[in-house]
Amino acid sequence: MSQKGNRIRVEKETEYLLSFELNGESVEIPVDPSRRLVDIIRTDLDLTGTKISCEIGRCGACMVLVNGKQQNSCLTMAYQCDGKKIQTIEGISTDRIDPVQQAFLEEGGFQCGYCTPGMIVSLKALLKENPKATMEDLKEGLSGNLCRCTGYGGIYRVLRRLTDK
Amino acid sequence: MWLDRSSSGEKWKVRPDGEEKVTGKLRYLTDMTFPDMLYGRVLRSTVPHARILSIDTSVALEYPGVIAVLTHRDIPGLNGFGISIPDQPVFCDALVRFEGDAIAAVAAMTEEIAEKALSLIKVDYEPLQTLDTPELALQPTAPKLHKDGNILHQTDYQRGDINEGFKQCTYVIEETYITPRQMHTYLETEGGIFVPSQEGRLTVYAPTQHGYKDRMQLARILACEEEQIRVISSPIGGSFGGKDELNVQPYGALLALYCHQPVKMHYSRWESVKAGLKRHPMEITMKTGVNADGEIIAHQVQILSDTGAYSTLGGPVLNFATEHAVGPYQIPHVDVKGKAVYTNNGISGEFRGFGGNQVIFALEGQLDRLAEKLKIDPWELRKKNLRKLNDLGPMGQRVVPTNGPEQVWEAVKHSPLWEKKKTQSNFSKPWIKRGIGAALAMHGSGLGYGIPDHAGGLIRLNKEGKIEVAFGHEEFGQGLLGTLEILLQDHFCCDKDDLSIVIGDTDLVPPSGSSTASRTTNVVWQALNRLKGPFLEALFTKVNELTGCPVETLKTGPGGIWADVNEEEELVITYSELGKNGVAELECSTDFHFPVTPDPFTGGHYLYTSTSVIAEVEVNLLTGTVKVIRMDHAVAAGPVINPMGYVGQIEGGSVMALGFTLSEDAMMNDGKYVTQNLDTYLVPTIFDVPEEQYVHAIEELPDGDSFGPRGVGEVGSVALAPAIVSAIKEATGIWVTKLPVNRELLQKTPFLTLWGEGVEEGTK
Repeated sequence: MSQKGNRIRVEKETEYLLSFELNGESVEIPVDPSRRLVDIIRTDLDLTGTKISCEIGRCGACMVLVNGKQQNSCLTMAYQCDGKKIQTIEGISTDRIDPVQQAFLEEGGFQCGYCTPGMIVSLKALLKENPKATMEDLKEGLSGNLCRCTGYGGIYRVLRRLTDK
Repeated sequence: MWLDRSSSGEKWKVRPDGEEKVTGKLRYLTDMTFPDMLYGRVLRSTVPHARILSIDTSVALEYPGVIAVLTHRDIPGLNGFGISIPDQPVFCDALVRFEGDAIAAVAAMTEEIAEKALSLIKVDYEPLQTLDTPELALQPTAPKLHKDGNILHQTDYQRGDINEGFKQCTYVIEETYITPRQMHTYLETEGGIFVPSQEGRLTVYAPTQHGYKDRMQLARILACEEEQIRVISSPIGGSFGGKDELNVQPYGALLALYCHQPVKMHYSRWESVKAGLKRHPMEITMKTGVNADGEIIAHQVQILSDTGAYSTLGGPVLNFATEHAVGPYQIPHVDVKGKAVYTNNGISGEFRGFGGNQVIFALEGQLDRLAEKLKIDPWELRKKNLRKLNDLGPMGQRVVPTNGPEQVWEAVKHSPLWEKKKTQSNFSKPWIKRGIGAALAMHGSGLGYGIPDHAGGLIRLNKEGKIEVAFGHEEFGQGLLGTLEILLQDHFCCDKDDLSIVIGDTDLVPPSGSSTASRTTNVVWQALNRLKGPFLEALFTKVNELTGCPVETLKTGPGGIWADVNEEEELVITYSELGKNGVAELECSTDFHFPVTPDPFTGGHYLYTSTSVIAEVEVNLLTGTVKVIRMDHAVAAGPVINPMGYVGQIEGGSVMALGFTLSEDAMMNDGKYVTQNLDTYLVPTIFDVPEEQYVHAIEELPDGDSFGPRGVGEVGSVALAPAIVSAIKEATGIWVTKLPVNRELLQKTPFLTLWGEGVEEGTK
């Protein structure tokens, strides 16, 4: 038998206080300066719309906006977020569904949905930067977001809709 | 019918689970937390084959914040799991058989402490010879990996006289085909949370494709009654067969029960690669002969399947491959032999297509090569040999009459690629070559003869006044919830808000069998057909008691029960009033067996879906890169219930097959994974996938067919590889026999050619 009670206090002792803006609200949180943003969002703040999958910046499931630009939160450390504006999927649509989200809903742009927040966050960044983005621009912008379910068929339908002005 | 949004009309619907998914609000089971939860981690072997000399957990256990460290000594019940044969130890005791074998598990107060504790467990190994290929494992001197040796399963199917058959052949093609160790690569890695109650029950929140099966397997390990365990298993962030077998569950369950606290587990991608299932790598040798008229006379097949260290469903996968090695063709002399062999490699198991993908690649390759010998169109050669409506199945078993193969053979001509194939393309860049290829396949649904394949469901009017259905099925993205909503609205003409759909929770649903084998749509369709009559009868009898309206005037509609009164429809009673008036008798259930052939060929199927694929590729001779320009599928699977789901299954399956053909291989070297994450294991990105991909759905079934919609979950993934390979041949003159396609094989090497060494390897 190999079990026992070996409990300790696990509150973090850190002198670093991270201040940033998250989905429009200012947040101050004591964390280790090298803690990954994805852990701060998912674990410390319990915002689980941001997903975790490869943890090496290849799949895009953890994509967030940092000052409006797409960034893998698995490759972003706490200190890099200081004073930044960070937006997660939860901040994309506050009271009504965003047109990008609506396109995913109506075109079958997702199945299991696990890659979807990252996809939508990426597209939001691209369209904000260039509202007249072409199909090629959007494809380029999604090259860091993997989807295993749809084969990108539904995502192509979304992109056609978003570029068909 | 080209299936798309405009051809689908109102049936192209936003999924019931859609809004939660696009807003990030959906809590996947790996997103859940509980107060006071601990973090669980598994210590895995670092060596592929070794004797365990000692395991010392004492230092890890002393580490502050570590609550439990468990090993094989701590399992109250069976130290084993496996859907078919429970030969995989939960924790190894004396022998390690693969790199991902579990030695111990830790529960700690933080993830960091759990990680640290793993490094403090000391295991002494005595390394043994690594059997890293089936050939090595089959050598008489090879150490035995399991007590009965290294052969998990063998198949042997024969009809006619194979030697006599080959004597009648004008041309014979013999070729060996090799397929990769493909990884499911669900974006959500394995994980879940395990919550013990004060009453001693355990709630398991972890994805699976068959909640009741997990419950049975866990009860066996924990030595408890199955009813002590509740398995909540949906929603799921992708599975494709990969989460059908137990993964985190034994560890989370044991740790939670030992610690009397919730335990959360979530594999990293590397642990998922190391411990998870893959598609069986197969080496398939086919010898196929035709007479001068192009009739296939003899077909001999040998399948060697690397099942890895443990069995899971390696046996049934081989059965499936054996059956599908004959395909939709009528051949008098057949001899198929298969071997699934244990090795020290990662575990191979259930994966979309279930052994069909590998043999269909080989079989369709044979047809193309034979057509070349005969100097006839490969599509005409297929037609000549294709099964007819009432022909027997691939193993000589009776099947539900199907002309699906003929339908998809014809339907491929609707693709613009069919006409394009006949035209000559001119390119300004001489190093770019284009080709178009096509292939077809027939794919079984259901588990097949000899395997219990129970189905069932339940319908009721619940207390909240909703028409509620409950099924023991799972939603892993395929669109089951949408399919059920469409079926229920069809049956009851009600609003979607009048419905409640319950799945994925063993405390709330009846056993419906697994959500695998392209069976679920068919199961729920059959179940609702069985349930509708008795349910409406019970409902209308109750309404008649309450309102006096004659039963024959009643019907269900939006919001409640309606009646024809003086030629006008009026709402007689709402569902919610009805719900308040007692609902005990307003519940009906059904259970039945999935349709199965009466003929005793183990694993033989009765219901089939057929598909054809036509694909255009561009090969860059300087880089060897193959780019798929367009691919179109025809699918004959009976009526389309959920068009968005149907199209999505074919597109998604097809692109998974694109990866299987061109880029995906979980490579192993000496029993260790070399490709450990998505930087080297390459699933297709949006750039690798053609913008043009269409699905032609053939809904017509033979007269009198009562079996309804066939599954489409797998069939999109089975026939693309041979179509691409055929297109590559047209483009380059090179036959590819090994997947994923080796770019170097397709590269013209101009400098070598200058020196006179330009050998086109693989050219036959």
